[in-house]
Amino acid sequence: MTAYLIKRLAMLPLVLLGVALVVFLIMSLVPGDPALAILGPYATPERLAALRAELGLDQPLPVRFARWLGSLLRGELGHSVSLERPVLDVVLERLGPTLLLAAAALALGTLAGLGAGMLAALRHNRPVDRLVTLGVVLGISLPSFWLGLLLILVFAIWLGWLPASGMVAVWGDGGVLDVARHLVLPAVSLALVAAGVIGRLTRGAAIDVLGADHLRLARGRGVRERRVLMVHGLKGVLARMVPVIGLQAGFVLGGAVYIETIFQWPGLGRLLVDAIAARDLLLVQGGVLVLASAYVLVNLAADLVQHQLDRRTLGQ
Amino acid sequence: MTPRGLLQQRGAIAGLVLVAMVVLPALAAPLLPLSDPALTAPASRMLPMGTPGHVLGTDQLGRDLLSRLVWGARSSVAVALLATALAALVGAMIGILAGFFGRLVDQLLMRGIDVLMAFPYLLLALAIVAALGPGLANAMLAIAVANVPFFARAVRGAVLEIRHQDYIDAARLAGHGWAWIIVVEVLPNLVPTILILMTTTLGWMVLETAGLSFLGLGAQPPQADLGSMLGDGRELLVTYPRVAVLPGLVILVLVVGINLFGDALRDRLDPRLGPSRRREKSPMLAFTPAAESVPGVLAVRELRIRVPSNGGGATVVDGVDFGIARGERVALVGESGSGKTLTAQSLLRLLPTGVAATGRVELVANGSGPAVDVLAAPPATLRDLRGRRVAYIPQEPSSALDPLFRVGEQLAEAVRAHADLGPRALQRRIELLLTEVGLDRDAHLASRFPHQLSGGQRQRLVIAMALAHGPDLIIADEATTALDVTLQAEILALLTRLCTEQDRALLLVSHDLALVAEHCERVLVMYAGRIVEDAAAQILLRTPAHPYTAALLGCSPALGQPEKPLTAIPGQPPTVEELGARRPAQNCVFAPRCPRAQPACREHEPTLAPVGQRRVRCLFPLDAA
Repeated sequence: MTAYLIKRLAMLPLVLLGVALVVFLIMSLVPGDPALAILGPYATPERLAALRAELGLDQPLPVRFARWLGSLLRGELGHSVSLERPVLDVVLERLGPTLLLAAAALALGTLAGLGAGMLAALRHNRPVDRLVTLGVVLGISLPSFWLGLLLILVFAIWLGWLPASGMVAVWGDGGVLDVARHLVLPAVSLALVAAGVIGRLTRGAAIDVLGADHLRLARGRGVRERRVLMVHGLKGVLARMVPVIGLQAGFVLGGAVYIETIFQWPGLGRLLVDAIAARDLLLVQGGVLVLASAYVLVNLAADLVQHQLDRRTLGQ
Repeated sequence: MTPRGLLQQRGAIAGLVLVAMVVLPALAAPLLPLSDPALTAPASRMLPMGTPGHVLGTDQLGRDLLSRLVWGARSSVAVALLATALAALVGAMIGILAGFFGRLVDQLLMRGIDVLMAFPYLLLALAIVAALGPGLANAMLAIAVANVPFFARAVRGAVLEIRHQDYIDAARLAGHGWAWIIVVEVLPNLVPTILILMTTTLGWMVLETAGLSFLGLGAQPPQADLGSMLGDGRELLVTYPRVAVLPGLVILVLVVGINLFGDALRDRLDPRLGPSRRREKSPMLAFTPAAESVPGVLAVRELRIRVPSNGGGATVVDGVDFGIARGERVALVGESGSGKTLTAQSLLRLLPTGVAATGRVELVANGSGPAVDVLAAPPATLRDLRGRRVAYIPQEPSSALDPLFRVGEQLAEAVRAHADLGPRALQRRIELLLTEVGLDRDAHLASRFPHQLSGGQRQRLVIAMALAHGPDLIIADEATTALDVTLQAEILALLTRLCTEQDRALLLVSHDLALVAEHCERVLVMYAGRIVEDAAAQILLRTPAHPYTAALLGCSPALGQPEKPLTAIPGQPPTVEELGARRPAQNCVFAPRCPRAQPACREHEPTLAPVGQRRVRCLFPLDAA
């Protein structure tokens, strides 16, 4: 375990470097004068010249990347034009609510998906299986932004049970219960797609695992059916599903962009949309970088958990 | 058509119908009598559904909703298709180059792909649109780029599979250049894979296009697609929900249709995940206690096993009868496909799904429990006897062990299945078992995982599990076939010794007559699902009575007799299909391969009849009393 951990941790800076490189390359796609794009048409020539020098626009691309990387390592993500604040401060402030929403959605989606997939595999080719299979197709086909609007319409507007927006700060005055009330609708909208994908893959994995010889032969040793299914079956399925769940974190973090916009959730996703609308490129860059890094860490965690579950996965 | 094909057909057709409901009007949009979707009419804002001329009503600018839906779907589908094609093209190129050239090219390209995959899916598209600026074309480009890694990986995998096929090597030898080989030999083989990948991603692409437009980053007014209509309608959610709900519904119908069709297509290629053969229920006979008078440990009566086959089912084990006495060591010998493994597994009702056994498998009442018909026992009774009264050692020991659990945990589990022991007693029992099978030298063995053990160690471990509760009968199913010859002898000697010492019966299933005959007192020879000869080992080895037994002996080398000529048996044993097509008792099953077959042998099937001290299923047994 330790050797694996060290190996994976040693890889981490390389992956993050790759992520930074991709973000840098995408931002260098900006057509025209980046300084003008960042500061907008009303910037003074002096400020434009100053920014050009700061970005090193007269330098070749590799030099610019190295300089930018250097400032990243010093924790400098630049200054947001639209918010008139350091990008890093804004991004870190908004990261918490996004992680809360994504974690809630992923937890919900995982529970629902694993449950439905296992149930379908246990009742393979029976009506329950068909129902799950159909539900899974519906889940992965639903536009989450539309589902969010429908949920608002039904539960916030017509029934008035839950708030549609108004989440200001996670650690506000309302306490945990208030946060939870605000969390339900966005988390459910975001969870459904993840539940669909996880459910579909769980069903396939569970059909494989439950048909494995070692399960049949454990029964042949007189091991109780409940233990065969809940210990050997479940661990086998989990070992295969943990990386998939890690990948779903990516869909949930990406989907947060829609859901935060719809529910006015004070997270990074909404910040990104606002920043794009305001052409605040440094803010976009910082937000993307932080979200992508969070995703890389989640996947690292998923790999470590999988290695803990199945020791045959060494290296790769 | 099989029920499975029908079901897939149904999914595929339902999918196509849904897709057609959206795509056909979108394709025909210019021909349909629809008003201009961009025509604003402030006077007729928010007309309700069913207004003459506006079936679905109008929106906040008085534009006809139906017309906007049809034209919006047109843009959405077009953008999604273009993005899919672009992603497939670029992704396939990267995948082909990486897979075909391997080494450095592969490393460079795939590390790049890995980095792209390190981004949350939508975020990459969002960053690209942010840099290029909003607009439908940029959104399309962004979505295509975000999906390139998916295509690149899948296509690379497909190329790796075919890279070393004979026809590729042949083209190389023929002196063709790499470009020629890729275009002429590789690409055509990838087309089905790529098409299926495209079908399964198209749904995502529709959703992502709509998503970017929903955020205002895709279609810009007056241009509109389903996503931007949904985004605009958001403002009116409280007052006029239909303006937002309808475009979403169209997206849903389209994507569900695409996914249903894609699933049906993929299930065709990957049958494992799709609906498969119906589970055949094994007949649950009324549970009757077996007769008290049967001597010995086990009595098998009229055992028949049916497996599913193309013709609907075949009886591959037919009328097997035998008994095993207490402490007796019996070999069950036959070629692969003779039904010996199914017979062995049915003794514990461990048959694979879909395989059904009838007849009786009676465990005789004795100190370890009452008489039981294994095939008819209720689940609780069955669990109680498995591992406690009868233990099974499979051919491949690694298939008996869960790769995710330490071997100590699995041994403990086997012990705890029938013995409620405290931690210390459990530990002592485990150490005792490991010592018994000669695994006591490695102090850390219990904390290892199955893949860290050698084949011999795994087999000893499985034997230890089988011994855990001192069963009356141990079934060893080709338990040494996977091991090398010296280990084979060692394990067999171990099994024989343990059984003799503790007065347990042993059923040794094998294809190697000479090997098992050394370790057993009695031999049952099986052919095509029937026992053809049942005799004491020494008698059978010296003077076989059934021509098949004689032939088996003729084709196994004997130690110390290097000059003995080996004769192969001509012909093949009957296949499952042939057995399925057989009329009952049609002829002697061995007659087609038998050198001594007479016309009578082809007219009816002999029974397993006593001849002297043995039983033989032959009309004309060899002279051997």
